[in-house]
Amino acid sequence: MECEMKIDSPDKLNAWKEECLQKDAKLKKKVMVCFGPGCLAAGCREIYAKFEEILAERKLGDITLESFKKTGCHGLCEKGPLVVIEPEGIFYNRVRTSQVKDIVEKTLAKGEIIERLLYKNPKTKERVLKYHDIDFYKKQTRLALRNLGHIDPDNIEDYVMRDGYQSVAKVLTGMTPEEVIDEVKLSGIRGRGGGGFPAGRKWATCRGVESDVRYVICNGDEGDPGAFMDRSIMEGDPHSVLEGMIVASYAVGARDAYIYVREEYPLAVQHLYQAIDDAKEHGFLGENIMGTDFSLDIHISRGGGAFVCGESSALMKSVAGEVGEPRAKYIHSVVKGLWDKPTVLNNVETFANIPLIMNKGGDWFRSIGTEKSTGTKAFSLVGKVENTGLIEVPMGTTLREIIYDIGGGIKDGRKFKAVQTGGPSGGCLPEDKLDLPVDFDTLTKAGSMMGSGGMIVMDDHTCMVDVAKYFLKFLVDESCGKDVPCREGLYQLHKMVVKVTEGKASEADLQLMEHLSKYIIMGSLCGLGKSGPNPFLSTVRYFRDEYLAHIIDKKCPGGVCRDLIRFEINDKCTGCTACIAPCPVDAITGEKDKIHILDQEKCTKCGACYAVCQFDAIDII
Amino acid sequence: MKIQINGRWYEAREGEMVLDVLRREGIDVPALCAHEAVEPYGACRLCMVEITHEDWGGWKGNVTSCLYPVEDKLIVQTHTEDIIELRKTVLNLLLARCPNSPEIQKLASEYGIDTTSFVPREDADNCIMCGLCTRVCTQMGFNAISVAGRGYGREIATPLKEAPPDCVGCLACVKICPTHHIQYEDIGTTREIWGRQFELVKCKQCGKALITREFADYLIENRDIPADYFDICDDCKRSGTARDFKKLVHWEEKEEAEEEVSA
Amino acid sequence: MTKRFLIRPALCIGCRTCELACSLTHQENKKPGRSRIYPIAVGREQWVPIACLQCDDPACVKSCLVDALRLNEELGYIELLQERCIKCRACVAACPFGCSLIDEEQEIIVKCDLCEGNPACARFCPTKALEYK
Repeated sequence: MECEMKIDSPDKLNAWKEECLQKDAKLKKKVMVCFGPGCLAAGCREIYAKFEEILAERKLGDITLESFKKTGCHGLCEKGPLVVIEPEGIFYNRVRTSQVKDIVEKTLAKGEIIERLLYKNPKTKERVLKYHDIDFYKKQTRLALRNLGHIDPDNIEDYVMRDGYQSVAKVLTGMTPEEVIDEVKLSGIRGRGGGGFPAGRKWATCRGVESDVRYVICNGDEGDPGAFMDRSIMEGDPHSVLEGMIVASYAVGARDAYIYVREEYPLAVQHLYQAIDDAKEHGFLGENIMGTDFSLDIHISRGGGAFVCGESSALMKSVAGEVGEPRAKYIHSVVKGLWDKPTVLNNVETFANIPLIMNKGGDWFRSIGTEKSTGTKAFSLVGKVENTGLIEVPMGTTLREIIYDIGGGIKDGRKFKAVQTGGPSGGCLPEDKLDLPVDFDTLTKAGSMMGSGGMIVMDDHTCMVDVAKYFLKFLVDESCGKDVPCREGLYQLHKMVVKVTEGKASEADLQLMEHLSKYIIMGSLCGLGKSGPNPFLSTVRYFRDEYLAHIIDKKCPGGVCRDLIRFEINDKCTGCTACIAPCPVDAITGEKDKIHILDQEKCTKCGACYAVCQFDAIDII
Repeated sequence: MKIQINGRWYEAREGEMVLDVLRREGIDVPALCAHEAVEPYGACRLCMVEITHEDWGGWKGNVTSCLYPVEDKLIVQTHTEDIIELRKTVLNLLLARCPNSPEIQKLASEYGIDTTSFVPREDADNCIMCGLCTRVCTQMGFNAISVAGRGYGREIATPLKEAPPDCVGCLACVKICPTHHIQYEDIGTTREIWGRQFELVKCKQCGKALITREFADYLIENRDIPADYFDICDDCKRSGTARDFKKLVHWEEKEEAEEEVSA
Repeated sequence: MTKRFLIRPALCIGCRTCELACSLTHQENKKPGRSRIYPIAVGREQWVPIACLQCDDPACVKSCLVDALRLNEELGYIELLQERCIKCRACVAACPFGCSLIDEEQEIIVKCDLCEGNPACARFCPTKALEYK
């Protein structure tokens, strides 16, 4: 029973919601196959295809293909491909295509659990049946990510069933734009893209500028390496973004809105287009929404593959079809933005929170998180932790809780060394900073920043100078090149950090790098340059001894910088010959059961032998 | 309105930038990427100044004066220690980028930088990426050249690095370039620039050339100027005008005036 | 009532004092600028001083693509904003009378600006062939 009519009143929306709920209640079981970015890479398409293949022939009573849903990112990407069976919440990990038949025959047909597909707690070694009981999920508060993993993003009914578009009905038929802005101000929500500017204040300023035309833009550029929060929301719950944008456009007085999606996210664009079409078909976009005189169209603008286009003024130029270069923002974009008109630009996650704020109230939102950083924040927790994935926690949660309670601690029994937060603009924090709460202001004081939510955990087999080198290289590649301090300065800074990793730098170089960093920050035109030296500055602040080891001792304590390390075979070698074949330059020779010999002249420090050795017989010195 | 610069108050006009006031009052602040003919860009950062205001509760900021609009009672400092260090750093970096440019060498040495502390660019040319050439080309209406690429490898280029179809050979880019980086060649009746050849319009009377055929045609078609205005050069036009006027003058006036004077 | 710059070639004796006055009035870095006015001999003892005719429909203004030439409404002359000029020579080529000139020494384009309301040439002309009234 497809809903054909336009939903032009709150009553019609509620009636439709009821219909959808009833239809859903008829499904005895639902099989959610996660189609998040991680699971896609791990092969969930093949798994879903296998389910389809089997169910085409196998009759399972009231479980048909209608019970199967392709959902957005469920969160625990480390253990993907994920298959979740509702209503129980049975959580199957690392599912392989060869196991699909078993799932059908045992779990779906007979209700039997397949133990080895369940999550195993790394500490207690116990298997956990339901995902609700896994620490990774227990400690989270999924608000912006509320629908991820539970709905098919291409099915608007799934969204409506879970209170979708309720805020649009409420706001358009019962609130003035000023009242909407007041509620958003009350919630205290600050921009989730990293800037942390109070959204309510931004909307109010924009509305206050005299103009015939205003715009709303959603920043879906998400350029930080390792960040996929916005991607998951755009792919897995696109309607939440649309709903937030409709409320914002009403509040600010915009007739047209844009979603700027980075070039590298074609799936997000696909799901967003589907969502826009569906929303338009049902009257949530287009003319006279909810039977009022408010009309809105949302367009998608695609990036060209530039990190710098995540910067608001460069983004607006890109939308307008020009070269994506930032401009000095002494006159803010809320006053003169896209095509010189007042424009509100907010992040995907910010918009995803708006429907909740309108439905449950600004007071409710501000009761979560801290006083100055209200609500929750989504993070992509990656690196050397047991549970990598997409998480969401209240603001104020400490780094320790995130990394150990949710992340499950450092994997392979290694030691924690540092956590990098905030993307390339952020910095690295050491162990004694683990009890810092994650919010907009605290991490910044410590020399890093929360940023848009990237969190990379590093273990002791990491060289902090190498980390600085990596992030600086990224920024050098992505700088638009307009201003001298950023273009030339970051390039020279990177060159000098490379010198350190090669053991060719002096203490005078270190001084020059610190001096240069100060003036890159002061002189740069936009945020990329202004925060560009952070990877260097934060690592030098907390790991200065590592820099000095490279400079004075010509050693790399982390065992990473190739020019400064040596691989040596020690006397634990059992002569198993496992390392001989992997060596790409035939540097290892030896007979069976005799200690092997590594020729230092030939060795390229690739680490293949180290990775393969089961006996700890290779040292990195 | 009035703004304070380095301790003295100066008149400022609504809508202008701080740099406009600095230039008008002869206060020396370098600005390599600014030119009156084009919109300010904010790329070289040399014109940065420190600003504050009595209403800002002690907050100070550093902004590029070319892009910062004047406001009443703005307080500006052009030579604080940090600002000078910033200019030195920028010039130091530019010297690494263009070690052979006399203009950069001179400006850098004014700030005490004689050799760069950084790694000089390999095969360095004299382009400092100020963007003046592309901006003036846009301002003129041709858009023949643009910035291409990103970051350290950014350069001024023609579409697809081929001979630009929209160029008219006006040499605006050549003349505005602060380091004289852009090259062109006039040989006989041909001008070559950006890999394209243009025909120079030769004066029908004396053969002197002023602008290219393409530029003249553009002005004729788009700016409502009669085509024959471009047929002869300015020297010959002056002589021609004089001869034309000869026919209109009542030369007897001279005799009358002489009588007046002597009388 | 706007003043007018009056040229009466019949009174011109070709003494070139106007050229000297103009050149010295427009000095830059102690170097005399190129004169914006030229008495041109058109016959025995007949000269026509040529200076910018301050046209009503000026080709030079139309030819300037960066708006460096504009009509000064107050004093009724066409001024060249030197800081805006990019020296493309479009005005030099376009002016039908040849009144936009290239100053090779100083590498700029120049034209008569009526000395912003007090033309030196008129002040110094001994025969009142040039008058500003």
